[in-house]
Amino acid sequence: MEMQETMMGRGRDAIDMIVDADSFKEGTVGAKTFDDPEFGPGAVVGTAGLDGKDVTIIASDAMAFNEKFPVVYAGIIGMEEGYKMAQAVYASMAADADKSAAEKRALVLIVDTPGNGPGKVEEIIGMNKATGAYQLALAEARLKGHPIVAMVIGRAISGAFLCHGLQADHILSLDAQFGTMIHVMPITSISRIIKKDIETLEELSKGNPVFAAGPRFFSALGGVNELVGSIEGMRPAIIKHIAEIRALKAAGEEDKLGPWGRGLLGEEVKGRVARPKVIAKMNEEFAAVAEKYAPSR
Amino acid sequence: MPKWNEIQEQSFLETSARDRALGMVDEGTFTELAGPFDRFASPHLDVLGDAICFDDGIVTGVGKIGKTPVFVISQEGRFIGGAVGEVHGAKMVNAVRLAIEFHDKLKAENPNISAEELPIVAFSLETGGVRLHESNAGLLAHAELMDQLQKARHKVPVIAVIGSKVGCFGGMGFVAAAMDAIVMSEFGRLGLTGPEVIEQEMGKDEFDSSDRSLVYRTTGGRHKYVMGDCNMLVGPKVSDFKEAIGKLAVLPIEDFESMRRIGSPELVEKQLKYVALAAEMHPADARDMWAKAGNEDVAEMTEKPLVKFLAETKRLEL
Repeated sequence: MEMQETMMGRGRDAIDMIVDADSFKEGTVGAKTFDDPEFGPGAVVGTAGLDGKDVTIIASDAMAFNEKFPVVYAGIIGMEEGYKMAQAVYASMAADADKSAAEKRALVLIVDTPGNGPGKVEEIIGMNKATGAYQLALAEARLKGHPIVAMVIGRAISGAFLCHGLQADHILSLDAQFGTMIHVMPITSISRIIKKDIETLEELSKGNPVFAAGPRFFSALGGVNELVGSIEGMRPAIIKHIAEIRALKAAGEEDKLGPWGRGLLGEEVKGRVARPKVIAKMNEEFAAVAEKYAPSR
Repeated sequence: MPKWNEIQEQSFLETSARDRALGMVDEGTFTELAGPFDRFASPHLDVLGDAICFDDGIVTGVGKIGKTPVFVISQEGRFIGGAVGEVHGAKMVNAVRLAIEFHDKLKAENPNISAEELPIVAFSLETGGVRLHESNAGLLAHAELMDQLQKARHKVPVIAVIGSKVGCFGGMGFVAAAMDAIVMSEFGRLGLTGPEVIEQEMGKDEFDSSDRSLVYRTTGGRHKYVMGDCNMLVGPKVSDFKEAIGKLAVLPIEDFESMRRIGSPELVEKQLKYVALAAEMHPADARDMWAKAGNEDVAEMTEKPLVKFLAETKRLEL
């Protein structure tokens, strides 16, 4: 596969490639304005036009460095960044609170982030709360009807991808030739921790996509809804998927979307076939005893 | 298999996932779902030459505390560190989904059913997060669980129970933070990036993970209690945890909103005050936060007996 020009580190460029020309207004989402440039500099939030409609844009700025939290640089989502992104989602919900589900604005997450803030102060204060807060906000917006599309353009790693990506309705990724990476940690670290040599892991990852680090492997597990083959292809793909998501939600098919939808997709593409068997057995076994746990009348 | 009342007296820290599951609910009420006899092992381990486990390192089922149906999830740290793979993940995700479904069914059958008779989830967390042997499946399972936790909001109280050896780290750290209430013992530990990973990525001067006291000061139950990151700090025995869960089991879902850390714009505002304080103080140690909360005897706070600690400690309210 001949490598193409990577989009890694180019979150801001990607915004301009995706939204309607010159329509991105950084720092405003509905009634909320983010006017302190020092606050969560790694998180880029704002409103843009997409196919003529307002959308919320959330991206990472890999060039930003957070002076207050030294481990937060190169696109890392630290505590401030996580809460700032969560606030952008809550502001989107508030702005469309009295609109019908069909008119609630879409959210587009542009994903190029190497991880959450791995520092001591983050553990003293609680990085887990910030990355969790952003996920709960996205899940709430998705369940309220906002279409959410994640567009992976570079690195989509571990806790940062879990908060900035994996709660979306649909996940798109530039294909492997752009060097996009979706995983928890590089095979080199995995081999050290689970004590398997790298050659074995690399050999295995060809046939067993469950831990290999590329978008095609993640897609083989039902984790990606579309692999986009060109940079120009990002914009039309996002517009198409937003329309698809709106149609599915209008038809009451939320279960085909979001994390549960990717579980179903994982079964369809034969990447995760144990999951549905476990779920079916648990349901059957609980149904057999449920009466015992209902209030005795 | 120790009998139920023997389990009650055991240290929660040392007790197996299955005995914790049995011991967290009333005697004889626990029904295991997808237990070892169903032989749901991970399909991804033999290719790596690793041993499997017929419950994939997690016990799921349902029991009762008084009138309350309790959906129980209990992770086994001795199997690959309680880490989350495809099967392990499906069991915990579906246990929460079943609790929500049962809630809806009971409420439909009897709209004025009492809060006490509506189900809760009790989740005994012992995990390092994503199982690296099947990391992509583990990532997807974490996202499914967060989706279920949001679907449980305002319906089914989900209680994190943290007091086991491995602690609760990695992705499961934010899962715990997203739950309604968190019950810890002082031996429980909770965080996102484990101390070893911080040291590996940022070096020893950022975090010396061999310094046990530093590890406990940063991630342990006493620190989490001061920060409001755990709601109840309980004694070391299984019975101490069961008692705490029992107190929560009878509360209406509305009472849990005030116990939460995240999940609303107001809570984000509140958490940002702690972040701003950290940006201003640059704490080098958790003790700096204890002092900020108004505790004078910071050095004794880790050693003093639990009862004294609970009586005297000031928590950091912002």
